[in-house]
Amino acid sequence: MSGRYPGYDVLAKRHTPSWNEQTRQVIDRRLALPREPRFLAPDEFATLEAVCGRIVPQPAGRPPVPVAAMIDDKLHANRGDGYRDHRLPPLREAWRRGLAGIEAEARRRHNAGFAELDAAEQDALLRAVQEGRIAGDWEGMPPALFFAKRLVFDIVTAYYGHPTAWNEIGFGGPASPRGYVRMEFDRRDPWEAAEAAPGREAQARRDNARIG
Amino acid sequence: MPEQAKSAAGLALTSFAVAAAAAALENAWRPPPSADAAPAPERRAAAKRLNGAAALLAGAALADSATEHYRGAFHNKIMVLPLGVAAQALGASLHGAAARGHRASSARGLGHALALVTGIAGTGFHLYNLLKRPGGWSWLNLFYAAPLGAPVALSLSGMLGGLAERLRAGRSLFGRLPGRLVARLAALGLVGASGEAALFHFRGAYHNPAMVIPVTVPPVAAALLLAATLSPRWTGAARGALRLLTGIGVAGAAFHAYGISRNMGGWRNWSQNLLNGPPLPAPPAFTALALAGLAALKLIERER
Repeated sequence: MSGRYPGYDVLAKRHTPSWNEQTRQVIDRRLALPREPRFLAPDEFATLEAVCGRIVPQPAGRPPVPVAAMIDDKLHANRGDGYRDHRLPPLREAWRRGLAGIEAEARRRHNAGFAELDAAEQDALLRAVQEGRIAGDWEGMPPALFFAKRLVFDIVTAYYGHPTAWNEIGFGGPASPRGYVRMEFDRRDPWEAAEAAPGREAQARRDNARIG
Repeated sequence: MPEQAKSAAGLALTSFAVAAAAAALENAWRPPPSADAAPAPERRAAAKRLNGAAALLAGAALADSATEHYRGAFHNKIMVLPLGVAAQALGASLHGAAARGHRASSARGLGHALALVTGIAGTGFHLYNLLKRPGGWSWLNLFYAAPLGAPVALSLSGMLGGLAERLRAGRSLFGRLPGRLVARLAALGLVGASGEAALFHFRGAYHNPAMVIPVTVPPVAAALLLAATLSPRWTGAARGALRLLTGIGVAGAAFHAYGISRNMGGWRNWSQNLLNGPPLPAPPAFTALALAGLAALKLIERER
């Protein structure tokens, strides 16, 4: 739930014409992901969870989006994007090298694991990775490139692929099989989230109770 | 797209609206002398046929404006108006079609006049909606803005209903015999409806060969109907074409129902696909106008 789309819950559309069997299967699978890693080693997973916590910090008061588990699932299934920057190794290898590199950098700088650092130290280290200010190379993989094309990409796409994030940004979920019928600017289909205009939160809450 | 074609389409639509408006004004102001020779029972039978056609048109306009204006989320509050007006026009037409007496009703006449005027105003609103969009008068907006031809159905219903009341009253229609006037009105309506079908079936890329039928048959039927007003030689052919057209209107609705079923989710996703698919109430307009044309042929035969 968020202030901008009060009362909006994309999962309320489960049994409406907005979803079909395929939708339900895909979303169910996404919601039922195991929280324990199946591809990454426990220490790698702890590092990844800490990294995710800095890239997409999550508010208290709602169950967090299991971003690290979603990425581990992608790695477990070896589900590539169908393309990659030729300077980066394939998906699994990129993450292995990247997480090892971040961990090594944390040990070199602070003599501690990345997950044990405080938020400011983690941010400074990630910024160094982003800007390529890292001692040594990661077996030939440029850290800045890994940050931009793999780390941020996978974390952000995982986060916004989750219904909890959809509620936050008022995303209607899959447009198929429903489709749009009101295609002008600033028009809302009956299955889309109603955004609260300032002072009109009650109206948006009423509309969001009826989406489907 | 060539500019001339756009201008021609615009001119045709505008002249259609202007002709309708002129007919309305003439109808309202000219004092009609009592002049029709046909006996009351026959006039009443013809009037009832026109009432039936007007009811079908009003019903189609009601269903169409209700779904399409809901789709437009009644963004402009006046979008509710045609629902009410079409509903009362439907009521007036059904009342006329079921009436036992021979007498004209000024209450029904008022209802039909309201439909006529609302349809004209609606065309103006739809034109405004089209012109205010980016690109203004363009093919894209002709396809996707408020359809210019749709409100005309309500006007045609009003005109047919008004003519039915005139027939009952035994009044001449603009000093002319009523049969030919009804025939011309039906022919004009058929050509207009066919033009709208051409526009939207072009938008649909004529993906089904049957989509050519409402673009080709109605103009032929309209031409035969006009020919029949000039010479009795054409009456048989016109009647055949119009009878065919009444069936085409029904078949068209069935085709559109099939089109809706072919959209994702089919009829189970009806709340989406009724809006997104081909409009179910559009083809019956051909049936209604063909029925009006058939009534006109009967009147013309009598007048001869």
